[in-house]
Amino acid sequence: MRKTTRKFLAVTAGVASIALLASACSSSDEPSDNTSDTTSSSAPADEPVTLKVATFNEFGYADLYKEYMTLHPNVTIVDDKADTSDNARAAVQNSIATNTVTDDIVAADGDWMPELIASSDFFADLGSDSIKDRWPTWKTDMGTDSAGKLIGYGTDSGPEAVCYRKDLFEKAGLPSDRADVAKLLDGSWDNYFTVGQQFMDAKTGAAWFDSIGALSQGMINQLEAPFEDPATDEITVLNPDSKAKPVYDLLTSDKVLGQSAHLGQWSQDWTDAFKGDKFATMLCPPWMTQIIAGNAPDQTNWDVADAMPGGASNWGGSFLLVPSGGKNVEAAKALADWLTDPVQAAKVFVQYGNFPSQTAATTDASVTGKTDDYFGGAPTGQIFSNRFAPIAQQPFRGSHYFPINQALSDAYTRVDVDKTDDSASSWKKFEQAVKDLS
Amino acid sequence: MTSTETPPAAGPTASDERDRQPRRVGFSQTLGRWDVKFSPYLYISPFFILFVVVGLFPLLYTGYVSIHQWDLLKGQGDFVGFENFSTVLQAPIFWKSVRNTISIFLLSSVPQVITALIIAAVLDANLRAKTFWRMGVLVPYVVAPVAVALIFGQMFADQSGIINQILRNLGFAGIGWHSEVLPSHIAIASMVNFRWTGYNTLIFLAAMQAVPRDIYEAALIDGANRVRQFFSITIPMLRPTIIFVIITSTIGGLQIFDEPRMFDQFGRGGADQQYLTVTNYIYQLGWTNKNFGRAAAVAWLLFLLILAISVVNYLITRRIASEGGAKQKKRKKVSA
Repeated sequence: MRKTTRKFLAVTAGVASIALLASACSSSDEPSDNTSDTTSSSAPADEPVTLKVATFNEFGYADLYKEYMTLHPNVTIVDDKADTSDNARAAVQNSIATNTVTDDIVAADGDWMPELIASSDFFADLGSDSIKDRWPTWKTDMGTDSAGKLIGYGTDSGPEAVCYRKDLFEKAGLPSDRADVAKLLDGSWDNYFTVGQQFMDAKTGAAWFDSIGALSQGMINQLEAPFEDPATDEITVLNPDSKAKPVYDLLTSDKVLGQSAHLGQWSQDWTDAFKGDKFATMLCPPWMTQIIAGNAPDQTNWDVADAMPGGASNWGGSFLLVPSGGKNVEAAKALADWLTDPVQAAKVFVQYGNFPSQTAATTDASVTGKTDDYFGGAPTGQIFSNRFAPIAQQPFRGSHYFPINQALSDAYTRVDVDKTDDSASSWKKFEQAVKDLS
Repeated sequence: MTSTETPPAAGPTASDERDRQPRRVGFSQTLGRWDVKFSPYLYISPFFILFVVVGLFPLLYTGYVSIHQWDLLKGQGDFVGFENFSTVLQAPIFWKSVRNTISIFLLSSVPQVITALIIAAVLDANLRAKTFWRMGVLVPYVVAPVAVALIFGQMFADQSGIINQILRNLGFAGIGWHSEVLPSHIAIASMVNFRWTGYNTLIFLAAMQAVPRDIYEAALIDGANRVRQFFSITIPMLRPTIIFVIITSTIGGLQIFDEPRMFDQFGRGGADQQYLTVTNYIYQLGWTNKNFGRAAAVAWLLFLLILAISVVNYLITRRIASEGGAKQKKRKKVSA
């Protein structure tokens, strides 16, 4: 324990000193031993450059852009925010397909990284010694291609906890204190559903959790290779030893279905359900806390427990990439580097709540000290920091991950929300959808 | 000229004359002739040049893409012939999307054209504040389709939507507007109708106002009531407009995209493809599955489907409308 803390301190100190050097805007930027890097990064120091940054949703960079432009008077940053993440994904794909560069920095969701890594030639190599230990390996791996080229700087992450309703827990005779609930829910998924059965037996009128699709997302993220073979990229989800099938069977069993609120995640009904007494628990990465607060501003009983059934897991998180065909690749790299620096990442979390993926930032005092009034003053910074530390891996995502995951989500919806199929017939349709992919 | 042509026996001289003749014509005259011959084509050429660039070329290029393996990011792959077509035609999802498209098209276009005709007839009558009512019917058309879809999406929400709440208060069971096939089609068709009925009404109204008023006066004197006038004069006189509206709404109705895409949170046409239309399927194949070859094949199949349904529509409407016209002519003769 002590050893890791010291290591974190060292990293923080090192990173902070680099940030100081960078922000001092001296001509000898970084003590980098990469010769090509030093020559090019010192060259555009005074030339005026305009950098277009394509983001989506809320990256929380508005103030940081201003700060960077003050530090670097020659740099003008143009914010190019897409209206939806789907459109942002289409824009990145189009620019790769037509080999045109419209933005100097492109933000990408972790879910799109496999397909961007397949075209890693389009993006600049971002690897350097100064950022080597900025992220945990699982985050860096998501942005690294098979040849070891790093194409994406990690921005935020989604260490999952469980959000729950204090009043409904009390009503069902379960402990409602944050620490007690964490103890109660910590353990396997079986334990989670056993507690769920107790909750259901108390007949509060509410369901135990919101949606099977949401639980599946959490469980799939705990698997090593849910859909495809990491070595060959072959689709394995339909094989007899399928890793996702047991998850599917458990979630669509009568016992678990009986605990569901039968809501499709992100649907209108789901959004409206937060206000009422529809369900008692839900999986909750840091960004979900903002969604809960937004969907039910007047509901005062939501709280966060420092636990995740089945072990630590990450859901979500994005990257910044620099297309190599841009005009100001070096300046763009410097900006992306600065934006994803732990110091900046901590500021974004404090202001906007996007939890950092930078190891040093997750233990920064400003991050761990953050509390959330909406969740009864819960120390969300500390909770998510605790949830972040033990994450060891992300599932392998091959080239078919995205459509397979969508087909699986459809399969759950048919059983859980629409109730038009039973477990077996819905899986048959899923098989057909996966076969259609090849 | 006539003198040279009269002796047909003198073949060689006649041909000589003809050979010589063009030389006598001045260049300016030639230009003048070209002007008459080619200028009209030149004047309309911008449309056709644009059409070739943005219409015909993409159409043919889509055909070219459809017979290859084609990845969104990796680009052109091997030539596969009609394999994309055969896989698509064997995929149950494709047939589901065709079923949904035709069903949504019928549920939207048929009531839409009929109500538009009725509203137009009402607006054609002597109303107070005419312009107000006429502008009123066009208001829904100004609303962006995505906004319409968001509003209707909330109204049709399965558990919390206002429509199901009303139904439950009246003692009925709530309807699965998203989960069931036909209700989801009705919900989507209602969005389409909300937006397009007013637009078609105005087209019909414009055509109705071009109908000579003396025909109505004559009918009135003959003792025809309003309903009779509507069926015996208005509809037959509107024949070309009705054909136009039906063909445009066929094309539009078979390409419905925004409404089903915005109808739920995923935009994939429902978990069981209850309301996946062909255009949504194309988008899904091209952008989610990154398989441009197959998406292009479906695009071509959709083109053929629209062509076929348009021809059928044209034949039906021409028959109905011309029968009406014939009847009217007969009646005129009798009364005369």
